[in-house]
Amino acid sequence: MKHMRMVFLFSVAILCCRTAATAADKVHIVHGPHAPQIEKYAADELKGQFERLFSDVHVVVETVASPDAVTTVFVGSPATNPQLATLFTSWPEVSDQGIVIQSLPDKSLHAVGGGSPAATLWAAYELGYRLGIRYLPRGDMYPQSKKPLNLDGIDTVMEPELRSRTWRTINDFAIGPESWGAAEHKRFLKQLAKMKFNRLMLSVYPWQPFVQYEFGGVKKSTATHWFDEKFPLDGDTAGKKAFGGKRLFENPDFAGLTTSDDRHAAGQRHMQAIIDTAHELGMSVGVCIVACEFPLEFQKTLPGSQVAHQLKNLTITPAGKQGPADSTLRKLVATKIRAYIDTYPTLDTLYISMPEFPTWGQHAEVALDQLKHRGVPADLTVEKLSQPARDRQTIVSGDRGEQAVRGNLVGLAFFQSLFDDPQLLKRTDGSNVQLVVTSVDPALFPVLNHVVPPDAGTLNFVDYTSRRSVENKDLIAQVPAGKVSSELIMTLADDNVGILPQSAMQSLSTLTKSIKQHDWEGFSTRYWVPAELDPAVYFLARASWEKDLTAGQAVRELWTTATGNAAAADRLWKAWQHLEAATDLIDKHAIGFTFPVQGMLMKHANENPLPEWWQQANDAYTAYMVELYRAHGAIDGDAKPILFYYAKRSEFALEYLAAVKAVREAALAKKEGNIEQAMEHFETALEQTHNCINTLSDVAQDQSDRGVIAVLNAYAYRPLLAEYEKLADSE
Amino acid sequence: MAVKTRTRSNAYCPKPVADESGFRSDNGAFSSVSSYGLRHCLLAAFAVGIPTWLNAEDWAQFRGPNASGVAVESTNPPVEFSADHNVKWSLDLGKGVACPIVAAERCFVTTMTETGKFAVLSLDAANGKTLWKSEFDTGKLPEIMPPNEHASSTPAADGERVFVHFSTIGLLALDAKTGDELWRYKLPEPFYLMGWGAANSPIIYRDMVIFNLDDDLASYLIAFDTESGSVRWQTDRPEMLGGYAVPVLCTANGRTDVVVAGSGKLKGYDPATGKELWTCNSLLRTIMVTPVVQDDRMYITAQSYGDTDRVLKFALLQWRDTNQDEKLAKDELEPAFHAKFDKGDHNKDGFLVGDEIDDAFQAKTNRVGGGNIIQAIRGGGNGDVTETHLIYNLDHKTPSNIASPLAYDGRLLMVKKGGISAAFNLEDGSTVWTKKRIRNFGNYYASPIAAGDRIYVPGENGNIVVLKSGPTLEVIAKNDIGDSVIATPAIANNRLYVRTLHKIFCFSEEKE
Repeated sequence: MKHMRMVFLFSVAILCCRTAATAADKVHIVHGPHAPQIEKYAADELKGQFERLFSDVHVVVETVASPDAVTTVFVGSPATNPQLATLFTSWPEVSDQGIVIQSLPDKSLHAVGGGSPAATLWAAYELGYRLGIRYLPRGDMYPQSKKPLNLDGIDTVMEPELRSRTWRTINDFAIGPESWGAAEHKRFLKQLAKMKFNRLMLSVYPWQPFVQYEFGGVKKSTATHWFDEKFPLDGDTAGKKAFGGKRLFENPDFAGLTTSDDRHAAGQRHMQAIIDTAHELGMSVGVCIVACEFPLEFQKTLPGSQVAHQLKNLTITPAGKQGPADSTLRKLVATKIRAYIDTYPTLDTLYISMPEFPTWGQHAEVALDQLKHRGVPADLTVEKLSQPARDRQTIVSGDRGEQAVRGNLVGLAFFQSLFDDPQLLKRTDGSNVQLVVTSVDPALFPVLNHVVPPDAGTLNFVDYTSRRSVENKDLIAQVPAGKVSSELIMTLADDNVGILPQSAMQSLSTLTKSIKQHDWEGFSTRYWVPAELDPAVYFLARASWEKDLTAGQAVRELWTTATGNAAAADRLWKAWQHLEAATDLIDKHAIGFTFPVQGMLMKHANENPLPEWWQQANDAYTAYMVELYRAHGAIDGDAKPILFYYAKRSEFALEYLAAVKAVREAALAKKEGNIEQAMEHFETALEQTHNCINTLSDVAQDQSDRGVIAVLNAYAYRPLLAEYEKLADSE
Repeated sequence: MAVKTRTRSNAYCPKPVADESGFRSDNGAFSSVSSYGLRHCLLAAFAVGIPTWLNAEDWAQFRGPNASGVAVESTNPPVEFSADHNVKWSLDLGKGVACPIVAAERCFVTTMTETGKFAVLSLDAANGKTLWKSEFDTGKLPEIMPPNEHASSTPAADGERVFVHFSTIGLLALDAKTGDELWRYKLPEPFYLMGWGAANSPIIYRDMVIFNLDDDLASYLIAFDTESGSVRWQTDRPEMLGGYAVPVLCTANGRTDVVVAGSGKLKGYDPATGKELWTCNSLLRTIMVTPVVQDDRMYITAQSYGDTDRVLKFALLQWRDTNQDEKLAKDELEPAFHAKFDKGDHNKDGFLVGDEIDDAFQAKTNRVGGGNIIQAIRGGGNGDVTETHLIYNLDHKTPSNIASPLAYDGRLLMVKKGGISAAFNLEDGSTVWTKKRIRNFGNYYASPIAAGDRIYVPGENGNIVVLKSGPTLEVIAKNDIGDSVIATPAIANNRLYVRTLHKIFCFSEEKE
C-alpha cells in the first residue's frame, strides 16, 4: 500500500513538473519494478528503436518515471506496471493477445502494453511499425533519416484476426533450417517476434539427433542430418567463398562431432536453445514428430516392421499384419513420445503427424467402428469417406487418396486409444502438453472434431503448394473450425518445386482470406529456403491483424515505406507477380523440377524436346530480375542491399535454367551422334551451373543459402562434370 | 631511396630512341619498349654487377609497366601455389578491389577499415611487414555496385610518392617512405547512371601524375605536378559516358601520346598540354577495359552489352525508368544529373522522352551501341584516324567487358566469363584459337598478366590458372587461393602479389 501511494505521488509529480525540451530530448521508458522478463526486453527494444528513429534523443530504461523526461513511455499493463495503472485509468479490456498503445492528453506520457507480456512485446514492435520500421525475417528496414521525436497519432487497440501464427522450423534438408545453428535460429526468431508470430513448431524426423531413447534393449544410435547426406567442400567446389575455408558443410552446432552420443548431446543443446529463445520472446513451442517411424536399429525390437521407402531408407514403420493394437508398437510409440516430453520439459505442444500408413489400410473398417464410439456419425462408411479422396484434384488422389484415408482412419483410432492414457502427455510439473494432430486427410475434414483425441488441436494440410491449395480451397470450408482448433499449413515455398526462388503471395492472400472466413485459428508456415519469403512473411504477419489486407496492398505498402519510392514499390509488386508466375509454371508442369536430391540436374539429360514452359519460366524470371535491378537502382536505405540479394538470386535462377536447357540439348545432340556438339552443350551446362552457384555465393547470407550451394555442388555440378569427363574420355 | 629509384630507371633502360625527352619513372620508361627489349636491358644491368637491392623490379601502377600486364624482369614466378603453398607472406587487409603495386621494394595496397576509413598501406615487399598505414576520412560513401568496392583505385608510385584516387576525397599524394600526406586535390565526386561507382587509377609520366575519370556527369583527363600537386592541364571529355580505362602511353613517329579509351572513341592527347591530338571512332558504348601498347600499336578488346543499335536511351529506359512509363522523370535520377536532365528536356515538359534521353547524357556525335570489338590501331596520328590507322577490327564474341587483353609473345590473349579464352596474332589479327576453355568457370574481372613463359589468369572464384605462353592453349596449373580475386595481381622479382577481396598474398618459390 505504501508502495502504491509513493507511485501515485510520483505520478502526480510527473504531471505537474514537465520540463521543456533540452538539446537532447530525454525519453524515459519505464517498466514495472517487478515486470516479467519479456516486458523488460520490450523496454530495451523500444529504447533501441527510438535511438535509431529519432534525432537528438537520450533514451533511458528505468523502473520509476522521472520528472525531467520530455517523454515517458510506460511499458506493460496495469497488472505489471503500477505507474501505468495509476496514470492510464481508461486502459481497455483486451485478450491475452490484445495490444494497447495509448497516450495521455498532454502527449508526453504514453503507454505501450497488452493483455500479456508477449502482447506487450508485440505492442513495442507495433509502435516501431507505426513509426516507419518494417520488419522482415532478413532484418529491419528503418526510415532513411532520423527525425525529431514525435509520438503523435500512435494510439491503437488491436486484436488479432488469426490467433495462431505458427512458424515451422528445422525440417529435413540441407537447404532448410536443419542446417542453421542455434545462433542463427535466435536471430531469426527475434525477427519473427517483431512480426508477432506466437508459436514455433520444431518439425523433426526419426534419424535426427534431437532425442535419444532406449527400447527393448536397443538405444537409439542414429543421429544424422539431411537424410544422412554429406556435403564435402574440398576439391573442385563452386562457390567456395561462402564457406570461409571449411571443408565440409555442417550445421555449426554439430561441427566435427561424429559419435552418436556427442551428436545427440549437441542436438539436445541445440533444440533446447531454440526452445529457450522462443520462450524468451513470448512464443509457445511445440515439437512435431512422426510418431510411428523409428531409426533402423529398432527393427529387431518391432518384429514384422518394414523399412520405409524414402530417401536413404533410414526408418522403419509398422507393417500391415502388425496392426494398431500391437502392444509392442504402442509401447515403442509411447517411449518415443515420453522421450521428447522428458528431454524437453518446457515444451508446450506435441504435434503428431499423420503419415499415410499405407500398410494399415486393411484395418480401416475396424478403425472406423472404433472412431464411431468417439462421435463419428454412425452412417459413415469407409467407402463414403474414400470416394472424395479418390475424386479430388490434390496430388494425393485416386488410389493413393483412398489409401491415405484408410491409413488415416487406422492411425487416428490408434492415437485416440494411445492418448487415453492420461500420463502420456504429462510433464514433470504435472501439467499436460497440448496435443495437435497434423495432416489428417482432407476427406476426414467434415468429422475432424471426432477423429482426433479430445481437446487435441489440428494442423491441416490441403496440398503441397499454395497454388494447389487454392485450387482445392473448398476443403477449407469443410472443417468444423468452431468445434476443433484448426490451423492451415501454408506453403511459402515448396521443396518439390525446389531450390529456385519462389513466391506464392497471391495464393497465400486467397488462403488467408479463406481461413478467416471460416473461423480457423490460424496457420503454420512451410518452407525450406527463406530467401525470397520476406514479403510473404510480412504479408502473413500483417494480415493476421488486419481484416481485409491483400498481398498486393501489403507488398506495395512495405516497399513504399521502406524505400520512400511509390513507383519502385509498384514495380516490386510486379516483380513478385513475375516470380509467382515462374513458381506456378514449375508447379503446374513439373513439380519436382529442382527437388534437392541426387540426380536433380542430370534427370534432364533425356531426349525429349525442350518443353515450351521452360522458356515461359525463363521469361518470368528475367522479368523478375529486371524489375529488381531497376528498383535497386532507384532506391537507397536498408532496402537496397535486400533487393540486391534478391536480384542476384534471380540471376542464379536464370543461370540454373540455362544449365538445364544445355543438359537437355547435350542429350539431344548425343542421341543424334554429334558428340562434339554434345560436349559443347555440356561445357555450357557446366559453365552455367558453376555460374549459378557462384552467383549464390556472391550474396549468401545464411546457412540455407550455403546449403543450396552445397546441394548444387553435390547433386548438379559434380555429376555433370563426371558425365562430361566420361564423354570426353570416350572420345 | 626515391632518388636511387630514379637513377636506377635511367641506368637500366637507356632512353628509347623514340622518346625525345627521357624517362624518370618506370611507367613512362617502359611504355613503348617491347618486353624483349626490356629483358635485354635488364639482363645487361645484371651482368655488370649492380647491387641486388638496386635490381629490384617494380610493378608501379595498374597492371604494371604501362598497364601492359607484363613483367619485364621476372622470368620465374611461381607456377603452383595456394593459400598454404608457396606463400612467402600474406596479410589480412579488409575489403578492396584495387590492384597491389610494387615500387622500390615496397608493396602498396588500399583497403577500407572497419571504421569506414580509406587506408593506404605500405608493406615490405619481401616479408609483408607493414611499414606504414595512412587512413583518411571519406565522408558519406557513394553508391557502388558489387563486385566494386570503395577501395577500388589502384595507386601509382614513383619511388618517392604514392598517388591514389578516392571518390569522395579526390587525388592523394603520399610520401612513399612515411605515408605522410604531401598534397591532395579535391576532384568532383563521380556519378554513374548505373550506380557502378568509381574505380579509376592514376599513372605517372615524367613529373606528372595523369588521371582519367570518365563518369556520366563530367568526364575529364587531368595532369598534376607530382611534387606540388598543381594542375598542369585538364582536358574535358564531354563525349564520354562512365568507364574505367586507365591512360596508357604510346610512342609513334617520335611522339609519345597519352591514350585513353572511352565511349565509342580511343583518343590520343599531348602529355605536355593535354590537347587532343587524334581520335579513332571505332569503340563501343561502355568501355571498362584498358588498351595495351606494343611498339607503335595499341590493341583493345571490349564487349558492351547489346547490339550496335542499343544506344544509351534504351539502357536508361530499361534500368532507370522506375515506373516503366517509357519516359524518364527528373525524380527517377539522382540530383547530380538534374542539370543534364534540363539540358535534354527540350520541350520542358519535365520528362525525357526518346532522343531527349541521349541528348541529355551523350554528345550527338558519339551515339554508339554495344557489341564486341578486337582492334589494333596504329599510333602517331592526327585528327580523325578512324579510316587511316585502324589496322584491324574483328567481331568475335570473345572479349570480356571488364578484363583487359594481354599482348604477349606476338599474340593478343583474352579471357572472359566462363573461362573462355581466345588468342589472335598481334600482327594481322588472324586467329590463333577461339572459344577454348581454360577449365575454370566463373567471372573474370582481373586481367591476365605474364612473366617468362607463363601467363596468369585470375578468376573471380579464387582460382588462378597458369597457362604456358605458346601458340596453343596449355593449362599448366590451376591454383585455388580460397578468396575472390577481382584485382589484377602484380609480378615483381619473381614474386606474385595477389590482392584478394579480403587479403593479400605474396607467392614465391624462393627458398628462405
